[in-house]
Parts: sequence; structure tokens; C-alpha cells
Amino acid sequence: MTAGLLLLPSAVFLLAFTYWPVVQVVIGSFAERGFRGATHWGFGNYARLFADPHFGQALWNNALYAAGTIVPSVGLALLFAVGLRDNTRLSAALRTLVALPLLIPLVAAAALFVFIFLPGGGLLDWYLAKLGVASHNWLGDPSLALGSIIAITVWKNTGYYMLFFLAGLAGVPQDVVDAAKIDGANAPQRFFHITLPLLGPTIGFVTVIALLNAITQVDHVIVMTQGGPSDATTLLLYYIYQQAHQNYDLGLASAATVVSVAMLAALSLVSLRTLERGIHHES
Amino acid sequence: MRLLHVATIGAAIGFGLFAGAAEAATDIDLFFPVPVQGKLANEMTRLVDVFNKDHPEIKVTAVYTGSYDDTNLKTHAAIQAGKPPAVVIMSANFVREYVINDEIQPLDPLIAKGGQTPGQFMDQFWPALRQNAMDQGHVYGVPFHNSTPLLYYSVDAFKAAGLDPDHPPATWAEWLDAAKKLTKRDGGNTTRWGLMIPGTYDYLGWITSGLAMSNGGQFYNPDYGGEVYYTQPTTIGAVRFLDELVHKAHVMPEGVTDANAVTTAFFQGRTGMMVLSTGSLSFVRDNMKTPYRTAFLPRNLVNAVPIGGASLIIPKGNSPARTEAAWTLVQWLTSPEIAGGWSRFTGYFAPRIAAYDLPAMKTFMSEHPDAKVALDQLAYARGWFATYNVIGVRKALEDGVQAVLSGKATPEAAMAEAQKQADALMRPYVEQTALKLPQ
Repeated sequence: MTAGLLLLPSAVFLLAFTYWPVVQVVIGSFAERGFRGATHWGFGNYARLFADPHFGQALWNNALYAAGTIVPSVGLALLFAVGLRDNTRLSAALRTLVALPLLIPLVAAAALFVFIFLPGGGLLDWYLAKLGVASHNWLGDPSLALGSIIAITVWKNTGYYMLFFLAGLAGVPQDVVDAAKIDGANAPQRFFHITLPLLGPTIGFVTVIALLNAITQVDHVIVMTQGGPSDATTLLLYYIYQQAHQNYDLGLASAATVVSVAMLAALSLVSLRTLERGIHHES
Repeated sequence: MRLLHVATIGAAIGFGLFAGAAEAATDIDLFFPVPVQGKLANEMTRLVDVFNKDHPEIKVTAVYTGSYDDTNLKTHAAIQAGKPPAVVIMSANFVREYVINDEIQPLDPLIAKGGQTPGQFMDQFWPALRQNAMDQGHVYGVPFHNSTPLLYYSVDAFKAAGLDPDHPPATWAEWLDAAKKLTKRDGGNTTRWGLMIPGTYDYLGWITSGLAMSNGGQFYNPDYGGEVYYTQPTTIGAVRFLDELVHKAHVMPEGVTDANAVTTAFFQGRTGMMVLSTGSLSFVRDNMKTPYRTAFLPRNLVNAVPIGGASLIIPKGNSPARTEAAWTLVQWLTSPEIAGGWSRFTGYFAPRIAAYDLPAMKTFMSEHPDAKVALDQLAYARGWFATYNVIGVRKALEDGVQAVLSGKATPEAAMAEAQKQADALMRPYVEQTALKLPQ
């Protein structure tokens, strides 16, 4: 009884600000509104969504973006964590350096990178020119723009994921490692047969976080490209934003939201399950 | 004890509110965008401070709302939330959409209080601005700052290329020729481009429509918000010309270049010419180290440019007191003195004709021939691009032109796709208007 009462305030807020909007979005996805016309109910928004080539493009872009950001940033984070886990002064300094982008808001980072990516006069092209590389239109060429967006995301997130891995590494019991040493296992063997399996839960967790980030972060897209050129950097969330706020098509935006969240939930579940199967839990 | 404490604070707050209400000025908010480069936000904040000091009965809060597109979005969101801003500096061509959606009030009654008819009121502004500010004889927006696309060119680059800076290109043929001469290559690398234009959203649609108009086209139906002419020969010709500049003559960089990259290249001598808004005149004047001049946007068939810039609007749903205060602010901001000062600060031309009769303005115009060109081009200016779902309809075109600039599509295919998307976006409106027939 008391517990229920204590939970009541947060329950009210959760219902009002989380569950009710979710219900509204689901209802909204079935409402087909025309200009000054009556509202029809049905699957029309979903039919239009799947017929929209822009949605297909956004889906594809987001898949590329997810693969392009998750694999390198999680891989690099693991590498950095293993390489910099010792408590020497040098690795402490390097750890700080790698984690530094974490402190910069994504919007500010994106605004900075707009200047770094300036074709011809920007920092990147300036250094590349010294190496004899011709200048590139990093954000203005449809075949490079998504890659540029991916690059700053990896730069931004790697340090964050590294922190999780450092915490995970601290939890690897030293006696298991020592036992392996006594048995004559070399460093790569110890890493692949002891550290990596014991890091399983951390890898699973970080991958899901990275997946969520790949779907929920679009600040840099808004600042740097607005989804362009020619839809090359339109991610799912940006597509939803465009439909809702630029085209005032709330039905289509709601349908896209429902589809994206459903896919995200399914993906998270699958990746957690798959990773869990390979995890050796200590008991 | 604690209860007493809470009661005291409550009473204090209540009293504070009451005391505040007794002497309250009318609070209004002004949404303002910063659409071009330069220190516009600082100057706007300063202007609002001056207004507040001169008008103790009104308290204006200036709210910076991003680009034109962002400002539109935030205004819409505020209206939908039932808290419409009192005054918005809105991209002039978005006004029609507010009329279509019934979210804006005609200013006629406020104008009538000053003893003017809508026609007499609009006669105070340059003729080219009237189309975007009015709808079916009613005034919905008061022009605040306006612009046209302008050709900027570097005098040094012109001389080095053997071109006469006193005779800038006036036709597309001369333009292409000048761009070819200005382009300097070093092996596979281009050290100086002939021409650059901003290819990002909003700018690209505006410049493309300017080229289509210079090619004899209308680009959109000025009288009806449900039609655009993306696949007409005048638009196709304009997009083909852009394609030629990039992929045949190689005098303009491939892909999309944003406004910052364009101006940086111009300041560093990495492009000989650029097309940019007249609103950037002051920014260019402050940052360009070598001499530059301005010229009309070159023509293929006729001299024509779209008007850009913004009007002041008062959304529906404001109380009479707020509307009254808003109207005071609108009149103050568009008075010849303030409009003239803002024009000199930014480079936008002042929409009020009388602003140019003021001594400060006359001195300024004689000292800055680049601003004179912008004003002269007004004679060839037309209203721009106003449709239902205007941002989406414009982006459909821009995505197509970007694909052409990037070498991913032919002008014909890109424009066919753009037209298809634009038609789909305008369909709900078209079905309820032009295609809604008596049965």
C-alpha cells in the first residue's frame, strides 16, 4: 500500500508523458487526414509509407549508418580499453584524450566539423593537400556525405563506449587470468579465451546502446546536411521530423515512428539474445 | 512551522504577481530568423532594446528562431500549441501557406485605423514586394527586409583573366565565357573556379527559380498555391545550364557547396564569381580583402529575379491588446528610419521607398555602388514561390538539382521526379480546391 502510494507520483508522470504519447502515436498512425477534409481510419498511412522511396532511402541510409558507426566505434573502444587499461601516467592521459569528445555536445561538434570539412579551405582538405590529395566536397558530395557523418559519429562515441569496456575489464577476475598464465597461455590466447568471453555482457550492452544511438541521434544531420544532398544523409528520425514538421503529415510521421520503433525493439531483442547465448555467466 | 513557511512563500508569490500585474506592460514576443551570414542577431537584439525603451507600455522579447525554415516550423508549432507569437519575421513566400491554413489575420483593420486602404498602405513599398505580402486584395505581411540574388565578382580575378571589370557578364553566354576564362587549373586540381553558388536547401531553390525566371519562365503559379512548373522548358533549360557549368565546362565545383564554403572561397580567391543574396552585402564588404563588385543575375531571355527576404506577420489567436502592441512594433520596425538603418547594417534593401529619401541613406548609396546595383535590380524582381506545403515542394526541386550538380541524374529525369514529388505534396490542397467540383 505504502509502496504503491510512493510510486504514484512517478507513475502519473510516466503515464502522462511516456505511455499516453506512445498510445497517441499509434492511434495517429491510423488517422488519414486531408486538407480540410474528414479523417479516415485505416492502413493508408502505412501503405503510403512503404510506397515512399524516401522512406526506403532513409531506411537504407540508417542501416549503412548503423553498420558504419557501431562496428568501428565498438571495435575501437574495445581496442583502446584493452590498450589503455594499465594505470600508467601515459595511458591515463591517452584515456582522457580518447574520452574527450564525450564532453562536447553533438551539436557543437557538428558545427565545428562543418568548418573542418569545408572543401578546399577547410582543415581536413588543407592537410590532405600537403599530402598531395585533391580537395573533396565532404558534405556536398552524395557519395561522401554519409561517410563524413559516420566519421564524426565514430569520433564522438568511441570514448564513451571505451568507458564501459574499462569498467567491464575491471570486473574480469585476476585469478582466472593468472591461472591461464600458469597454464602457459600467451597474451592473444588470454584475450580471446578469457577476457573477451567475460566481457560478453558489456559487449552486448554497448552494442545495444550503440544501436539506440544510431537511431536516436540526428543532431549532426540537422546541423551539417539537413538530410541532403539529394537525401544522401536522411536517417529515419530525420525523415520522421521532415514529415511531421516540414510537410505537416502527422499520419505518415506517426506510421514511420511506429515502424522504426518496432524494428529497433526487434533488433535490440535479437542482438541481446544472440550475445547472451555466447556469454559465460559466473555463478 | 513548515506549513506556515509555505504559506508565507505562497503569499509572497501571490502578492508579487498581483503587484506585477498592476503595472504590467503588454508582453509580446518577436520570432526572428537569421537567414544570411553576419551579426544580425546582435543588431536585432539592440533594436528591440531601443524599442522597449521608447515604448514603456510594451515589452518585446526577441526570440532567435534559426533559419527561415526553422522559424516557420517553430511558428507552426507555437500556433498549434495555442500560444501564437505576436510578431514573426517570416520568409515572405511562406505567408501564403498561413493564409491557406487560416492561421494568420489580415492586417486591413489595423491599417484602416491609420486611415489607409490596403492599396494605399502597400503603395509605400516597392512594387515587386506586394505580391508576396498580399492575398486577394488583403494585406497579410508587411515587408521588412528583402533581397534578390546578386552576382558578386572579384575585380582582381577579372583583370588577371583578361576580363573587363566594368562590363560584367549580362547574358548566360557571356557568363559561361567569363567563368571559363576565370577558371584556373593546376594539373588535376582547380585552383580557382569560375563560379560558385550555394547548393544547400533554401538557397538552391531560390537561385534555380531565378535562373528559370531569367530563362523566361514563371516557375510557379503566382495566383494559385497548387501548381509548380518544374518540367517546363524554362526550368529544364535553367537546370541544364547548371549541369553544363559543372559537367561540361567544369567551371563550377561538382556537388553541393554551402554558403560558408562559397564565401570562404570568394574571400580566398578560389572562385572568381559567386551568386549570393543581396542580404550578404555587408558581410562580403566586411570580409573581402580585395576589390569586388556586384552585377545583375545574368539573363538568357529576360532580366528577372525572385524576391527573397521576409515580411512581418501577426498570427491569429493573439488577444486584442497583444495585436495592438504587435502592430505598434511592426510599424516601428518598418518605419523609414529603422528599415533604412537595418538595410545599411545587413545589405538587404529597405522595402519602404521613403527610406531612400533619408539623408543617411542617400550618402550610403552614393558611397556603396554595390548596394546601388541591388536596388536597381528591383525593377526586374518578382514575387517568389508560394505554394501549399511550400518547404517540401521546394525541397523536392532542390533534391533534384542537387542530384544533377552531383552528376547522379540528368536534368530531365531529376525534374520529372521533382515534379512528381511536388504534385504529391500539394495534392491534398489541390483536391480540396481546383479539383473540387460541384456534383
